Amino acid sequence: MNRPHQARTWLRPAGALLAGILFFLPIYVVLVNVFKDGSSIVSDPLGLPSPPTLDNLQSVLSRPDHLFWYGLINSTEVTVISILIITAISAMLGHYLARTTGIVSKAAMVVLLCGLMVPPAVILTPITEVLRALGLMSSVPGLVLAYIGYYMPFGVFVFAGFAKTIPRELEEAAAIDGAGAFRAFWQVVFPLMRPASASVLIFLGVWIWNDFLNPLIILGPADGTTVTAGIYRAIGEHQADYGSVFALMFLATLPILIFYLAFQKQFVKGLTGGATKG
Amino acid sequence: MRVGTPHRPEAPSATPVKQSAAGERGRDTHAKRIAPTPRRARTKGGLSRFAVFAAPGLVVYLALVLVPIAMTTGYSLTNRNPFNPPTRWVGLDNLTGLFSDDEFLKALQNTVVITVIVTLVTNAGGLAIALLLDRRGWLYNALRSVFFVPVVLSAVVVSVIWQSILVDDGLLNSMLRDLGVHHPPGWLSDPGLALYTVSWVIAWQGLGFCVVIYLAGLQGIPQELYEAAAIDGCGPLMRFRKVTWPMLAPAVTINTVMSLIGGFKAYDQIQVLTNGGPGPGTTSTLAFQVVQTAFNGNHVGYASAMAVVMLVLVAAVSVVALGLLQKREVTS
Repeated sequence: MNRPHQARTWLRPAGALLAGILFFLPIYVVLVNVFKDGSSIVSDPLGLPSPPTLDNLQSVLSRPDHLFWYGLINSTEVTVISILIITAISAMLGHYLARTTGIVSKAAMVVLLCGLMVPPAVILTPITEVLRALGLMSSVPGLVLAYIGYYMPFGVFVFAGFAKTIPRELEEAAAIDGAGAFRAFWQVVFPLMRPASASVLIFLGVWIWNDFLNPLIILGPADGTTVTAGIYRAIGEHQADYGSVFALMFLATLPILIFYLAFQKQFVKGLTGGATKG
Repeated sequence: MRVGTPHRPEAPSATPVKQSAAGERGRDTHAKRIAPTPRRARTKGGLSRFAVFAAPGLVVYLALVLVPIAMTTGYSLTNRNPFNPPTRWVGLDNLTGLFSDDEFLKALQNTVVITVIVTLVTNAGGLAIALLLDRRGWLYNALRSVFFVPVVLSAVVVSVIWQSILVDDGLLNSMLRDLGVHHPPGWLSDPGLALYTVSWVIAWQGLGFCVVIYLAGLQGIPQELYEAAAIDGCGPLMRFRKVTWPMLAPAVTINTVMSLIGGFKAYDQIQVLTNGGPGPGTTSTLAFQVVQTAFNGNHVGYASAMAVVMLVLVAAVSVVALGLLQKREVTS
């Protein structure tokens, strides 16, 4: 990577650093103000907390209505169950469609890919009616089912693309060894698709955790809320108390941020798979 | 026996010929050659394979995406309102009504404005930052992560962060007042400004996505091309125009299509930052208008007509954009 030599070598790192600082400023504001009391948030929003206080975090964790804890439990439940089921089902479907060549499976592929661009708002009303008919409205299984349908195209897209890189001979060998199609898939093919599974799990994990509109409408206000819908409700309640709103956002983001940092490499790899093919 | 034996020595000699032909023509012929033997087994097991592998995904997709699309289309031809039955068939009245509905037209216009601004800002900004960060070292690695953080955050969280900064007595305006600006702009309360503020927040969140895609594109450009261009006497600007920009075509395609689709879907940021205001629908988008009309107004039929228009627009824009951009990839 020997780029042509440039004269002012400090210009690039300085410019990059400045751009990074300006860009990050809004997040910095949240991070420092989580650890300040109300009056110093107003008087000195940009300064470092001195002395830092954990009052905001504590007040969120010990809210009498358990908004954060209920949200955390619901978000975790919805996200984990959804991404596991979507990964399993879309891996089977994607692999199946990549391996069969009939006109039906080609048509199914096209119809699935069209689903990639359907805005959630377009189908939200009928989804609530389908779920109501199934008796799953205002429930975690209902929300999970909605996600399975909505994100099926993405999973199929990733797995079908990846399945084409796996040599067919491996599956034929497994079949000759007497493994049924089901066992051959889960014991031979699925482990080989680990990079695709990683992409699907990570992307969907982030998207579902952060989703707002579907939990707001499908889970509804009565029974439960997810962390994102909970933040929206909290800002309605105490508009001015930024200390506790920031603390709630900080706690709500922490799990998904840790999840992302743990899988950062695969995340970026999955993202850039298509951009480097040219 | 006498009929059978002459065939036997022939058989092995026939197979190698077939095989070499298959080898030359590659995979497809190879597959065809294998196919005849297990065909019966395949069609027999085909149905159960379909039931196990394909059916679960297809059934859920059918029930929760395709059927709802059909239902939306059907509702759009009625005056459906769950709290005001009976539902009547109104034909294309909803659709024609939309085009004289100022609120809808405003939402359509806002959606276009947001989409265009977001697409331009994320692509131009993303490319500029990617060019800046296209070096090795810990500083550039760290900065890459910094720009990517908002992509991982919830749109609600991002909107609340920016709201705390941009409200009338928020951080930005109190800083401006300290600097001696007596009447700082109402970033979210000025009807002429709020739409651009909202667009900026959406663009800020999407920027890191474009940065990562452009960086990957830049790193895929062979160094020799730059060296050849330098030998031919190209300056930095010429190198960008003749090498970098054409080689980035696939990255431009991905980023543009993703920004277009993302801009069209904009909902969360509107609800948190402005709730469609200030004033009637000044920042309302198609998605916001659809949800408001369906769930707050209960005019499901009318909202469905909006949703159909939205779906057709998204499809048309993505197909046209994808077609144009991929054509560019091939020719350049």
